[in-house]
Amino acid sequence: MKKKIKLTVNDELHELEVENRRTLLEVIREDLHLLGTKKICDMGECGSCTVLMDGVAVNSCLVLAVEAEGKKIETIEGVAQGGKLHPIQEEFVAKGGVQCGYCSPGMIMTAKAFLEKNPNPNEEEAKTAIAGNFCRCTGYVRIVEAILSAADRMRE
Amino acid sequence: MRDLDFVGKNVPRVDAEVKVTGDAIFSADVTFPNMLLGRLVRSPLPHAKILNIDTSVAERVTGVKAIITGEETPFVFGVSHMDQTPLQTEKVRYVGDPVAAVAAVDSDALLEAMELIKVDYEPLPAVFDPEEAMKEGAPIIHEGIERNIAANPRYDLGDVDKAFKEADHVFEDRLETQRVAHVCPEPHNCVAVWDHDGKLTFYYCSQMPSVTRVQLAKALGMPESKIRVITNHVGGGFGSRATSKFPMDFAAIVLARKTGRPVKIEYARDEEFIFSTFRHKFIMTVKTGIKNDGTITGRHITNICDNGAYCDYGPVVTNVGGAMQGTLYRFMNYRYDGYTVYTNLPYGGAMRGIGNPQVHYAGETQLNMIAERLGMDPLEIRIKNAVRTGDETATGAILKSCGLVECLEEVAKEIGWKEKRAHPVPNRGLGIACGVHFTGIRLSPGIDADFAGATLIVNDDGSVNLATSCVDIGSGSSTALTQIAAEVLGIEVEKINTIFGDTETCPMGWGSRASRNTAIGGMAIQKAAEDARNQILEAAGEKLEVHPDDLDIRNSTVFVKAAPSKCLSVSDVVRFNRYRKDGQAVMAKSHWDAPSQLADPVTGRGNFSMAFSYGAKAIEVKVDPGTGQIQILDVVASQDLGKAINPLGAMGQIEGGVHMGLGFAMSEDMVLDDEGRMKNNYLLDYRMLTSLDMPPVSTILVETNDPVGPFGAKGVGEMATIGTADAFVSAVQKATGLFLTDLPVTPEKVLLALKKKESKS
Ligand code: FES
Ligand code: FES
Repeated sequence: MKKKIKLTVNDELHELEVENRRTLLEVIREDLHLLGTKKICDMGECGSCTVLMDGVAVNSCLVLAVEAEGKKIETIEGVAQGGKLHPIQEEFVAKGGVQCGYCSPGMIMTAKAFLEKNPNPNEEEAKTAIAGNFCRCTGYVRIVEAILSAADRMRE
Repeated sequence: MRDLDFVGKNVPRVDAEVKVTGDAIFSADVTFPNMLLGRLVRSPLPHAKILNIDTSVAERVTGVKAIITGEETPFVFGVSHMDQTPLQTEKVRYVGDPVAAVAAVDSDALLEAMELIKVDYEPLPAVFDPEEAMKEGAPIIHEGIERNIAANPRYDLGDVDKAFKEADHVFEDRLETQRVAHVCPEPHNCVAVWDHDGKLTFYYCSQMPSVTRVQLAKALGMPESKIRVITNHVGGGFGSRATSKFPMDFAAIVLARKTGRPVKIEYARDEEFIFSTFRHKFIMTVKTGIKNDGTITGRHITNICDNGAYCDYGPVVTNVGGAMQGTLYRFMNYRYDGYTVYTNLPYGGAMRGIGNPQVHYAGETQLNMIAERLGMDPLEIRIKNAVRTGDETATGAILKSCGLVECLEEVAKEIGWKEKRAHPVPNRGLGIACGVHFTGIRLSPGIDADFAGATLIVNDDGSVNLATSCVDIGSGSSTALTQIAAEVLGIEVEKINTIFGDTETCPMGWGSRASRNTAIGGMAIQKAAEDARNQILEAAGEKLEVHPDDLDIRNSTVFVKAAPSKCLSVSDVVRFNRYRKDGQAVMAKSHWDAPSQLADPVTGRGNFSMAFSYGAKAIEVKVDPGTGQIQILDVVASQDLGKAINPLGAMGQIEGGVHMGLGFAMSEDMVLDDEGRMKNNYLLDYRMLTSLDMPPVSTILVETNDPVGPFGAKGVGEMATIGTADAFVSAVQKATGLFLTDLPVTPEKVLLALKKKESKS
């Protein structure tokens, strides 16, 4: 069964016809061709598919596209504005928070939602925020550092 | 040497911006409008004869475009042993052995067809334990392979029996390590596309696309020029992509040819865990002779590698651990008997350290046990026996640079070894271990080559296009290689575009494996860059009417050393050189083969690598005796990497290596049922350390400036993980009084052992 939905993704309105059972992740990647959002597990266990839905970080592989009807979605492609990286992105680059980069979009989206709620986190809070995001390369050390220094910069 | 502008600096990764914005395209992102999805149909039985495969009903499913069986994939392949075919026709050898492949328009049609393919099997007796499989009369898995021993790599150096006689103590211990998965974030995937000219383009998430091209051409009987392999950004490799994953590759290629449409095969996460290879389980017996003063007289290690149903890298994996344990300490009497044994289980492959983390674990853990038994300091035993620069080791390795002693001393100092051991705190423990890994390798029997390639063009505007044979699988190699080129050329990093992974634009290399990219790939780049630099200096000399030797290049400016104001931009020189009668382009190529040797096929002796990276780990833990919970208080990791081309990147590699090593030590374990089906092939069930579990890691980079590598650099990535589990287990022993020798050492195991100890006393 297909349904017509309206999705606002990165401030752009899309009118789509989607199968009821398709996930938001599938629609983002396959219909909107936004390939920055990654799929590591497809079952809510890795955080790589994290997008913001009305500002809340969600695993897009666990959300049906039809549930996102009328919602404002932000993906990694919408984070840099006017060709300028967001401070979180800049800190991931500067602090070495990126290795293979497959987890990076999901990490950055998670961090963005987190820092909007908690602009002044301590290390433990930052670690907790990304506890649902899987990374096989970095050991998380520099990702946590990047989030904390992004927080410092964003408060300035 | 003058000050370095780029090498040794924390230059941000050249690919970081595309990765943080989501612009980076990985192989898994490759898609075509009329692309079909493919999938392998796998055996449900561990060992069985195939009587019949009936695909007729499945073929009628709407959306199914092709189904193939082994008759259409008559290719034989392997790494060292050609023991595998993509789709089985006669018999299956493990649960999961592919027997057919389907291509369809979507995954619903795929799954429906897969269920409707009818395969009749006649079960055969199977064997799941390598020690059982080695016994006379065990079921034979591959015809003609006696006792299922696929390979028997050995080292026989000096006189071990005599060494044991001369020792004051001889200890023998058995230790086991478990299967652990790479868990690459990007699942294994490929897309095969044929055009009407008969050309195959193969999008492939690989550590060695140029080797894949050669292998595919051979198997398919095609000219290499008609195959293009493209590797985009790679979502982790860790060794799993250091070989071609042929069942998937050939299935996609044949299905695409048959349907005339692009075909993509991508593993789901549960398949990825078990069918992308993994770290083999080893069963090791270590026998060591030692004198009262702590001098090790000799060592004999027996290792049974549970190979699974096919070899893949198994024989190499069994070999490498043996080579490296004879390259760490000064004893010259060394025997290693490796057995690579077939079982009816899924098969392992190359994984970060390729057998070395396992054998090191056994050797280093036993040394800690010996220290404990004899009341010696594990740090001092190590320093006493450690190899040093200038040594020729038992295995024949010639150490042109070796920072082992410094690595040990540094971690000890940083963690407070002496003070903390002098004042033990109940339930706390401190452990130490060290290790060595190679920088590229030549192994007998094998091909006598260990090379990388580079091509380099300086453009009219002074920017540079650099093509390397080295795929950046996430390690940061492209950044290090760019820094090397920038340093040699005197042209800024930002102006250099480094590409990899396209067999049509990049030279051939021996793959991103064996910790070789920075050093071997780096030497190829250094050579090409030196050539290009000389071309620039020649042309500039002509224009400025000075001898090229009197010129230097910095910040993209060529200048007279004695009168720097007399200068030209690189861009001016390139254009001057090109746009004139009989002009020339500034371009260079190189192929660099590491100066190492194939080892002697009988004794195993030889200088098998261009350089050896040493390292040490010290770990402090706190154990809760009530629950068995182990809290890691501190990890210190040091590594002799010759020269840190990019210290930030090197530290990141080491932290990631420690993370992987701790998983191996304390939680990761592929749990198989009694016929080899993995029970925990999901991210949450396969327990890796999360951000919350990860302890603080202090990293110490020891620079010994190797005389061979570029700017003194040696390998980093694999040594980073080695020694972690060894130090951890020893720390747990100090905290609990228990040596738990079989990995992983989980809270359950600790608690059980503590209870057992209590009930005994
Ligand atoms: S892909 Fe959605 S949580 Fe893993
Ligand atoms: S950087 Fe590779 S998974 Fe995180």
